[in-house]
Amino acid sequence: MSNEEQKFSDEFINAFVDDQLTPEEKAQVYARLSGNEALSRQICELRKTRDLLQLAYKEPPMPIRGMATLSTGRKIGLGMAAGLMLLIGGVTGWFLHQPSPEQITSASLNTPTDDVPVKVLFHVSDGHIDHLKSVLDDVEELMQHYRRSHQAARVEVITNGEGISLVLSGISPYAERIRKMQKEYKGLTFVACQNTIDRYQQELGLTAKLLPGVVVIDSGVAQIMRRQHQGWAYIQG
Amino acid sequence: MDVFNFLGRTREDKARLEQHRLRLYRIAYAWTHSTALADDLVQETLVKALKNSSQLRDPNSGEAWLYSILANCYRDHFRRRRATEEIDENTITHESTPEKESSEQQVVLKVREAITRLSEGQRQVVTLVDIQGLSYMEVAQILNVPIGTVMSRLCRARYALKDLLGEFAPKNAAEESKIRRIK
Repeated sequence: MSNEEQKFSDEFINAFVDDQLTPEEKAQVYARLSGNEALSRQICELRKTRDLLQLAYKEPPMPIRGMATLSTGRKIGLGMAAGLMLLIGGVTGWFLHQPSPEQITSASLNTPTDDVPVKVLFHVSDGHIDHLKSVLDDVEELMQHYRRSHQAARVEVITNGEGISLVLSGISPYAERIRKMQKEYKGLTFVACQNTIDRYQQELGLTAKLLPGVVVIDSGVAQIMRRQHQGWAYIQG
Repeated sequence: MDVFNFLGRTREDKARLEQHRLRLYRIAYAWTHSTALADDLVQETLVKALKNSSQLRDPNSGEAWLYSILANCYRDHFRRRRATEEIDENTITHESTPEKESSEQQVVLKVREAITRLSEGQRQVVTLVDIQGLSYMEVAQILNVPIGTVMSRLCRARYALKDLLGEFAPKNAAEESKIRRIK
């Protein structure tokens, strides 16, 4: 009898309260519970502590920014996102009629004019890691070519949609490479679309932090159209 | 690198993300007792989760995985700051007077204050088990400690809380009879 009265360890009782015991172990506790007031009390106290803890953090104070405002911006965000997708779809379709990237690149490469810089924009809307790498490879190759041929060049890498991951701090897999490229090539600019940043904020509730030196423009699509109007060559990155 | 994976998905997926966010925030707040810091930690956690989402093979372990990222962010945060700043500068703000507070609110504040007095390890374990309802095994994985450590920390944390919350300890027979009904 005295053996049966041997106490369970405190850890064991805690595990019972948290439902972490095997059915056999639980049965041992239940068997011992009847008539054992001290054990009942101990379990009761542990449960009470757990309940108090749940109560204390059921509704934690919310930060002033962020979560509290998240749900209100959701509907607007969805509407804007839908509109943006339509716009991107339309414009992409329109661009499909443009000459291929290779044609444009070779055309601009073959007509060096020393005074007027060559102006090229890369449009990045796909965020896949391999895709981003190939864009940076292309950009770097182009910049090196212009450097070798002593040709002044302005190149803008315009990111929107999923492509914005290229220039998001903490997310971009190529942050260091971009920093080096910015330092290396004066005429190279990385651009992020404000609409996409807003979307990021509204849909995910996250504040988009950009890499240093990245320029923000109102809309990636509008910027592409402006640049085209100004005679920039368009390359679908 | 599906950063915007969540954007194209259904309303249910978004609601789920929102739920995760709230749950993470609740734990982050219980660890830090600072709304701003908790918000930052959750943000950092979600960014890392999105960035590394391809590493998650088993969707069922998604929640524990999120908490392990949170635990890493929390640890890194204090590792960065330790050199310059004391950790325990947390204060529970009492904006209203005690007279105005409901008795429930008083309990809430008292419990939160008690939680701040626990050691960091105990605080993490007891909140993950009690608030989040995670298993000991999951907590051990999240905090990267042996399961025995989880059990001993939990045990010490609960008894410390019991002492700190003395006046809220069970004092009537009704609750004990409730226990008896379980069998």
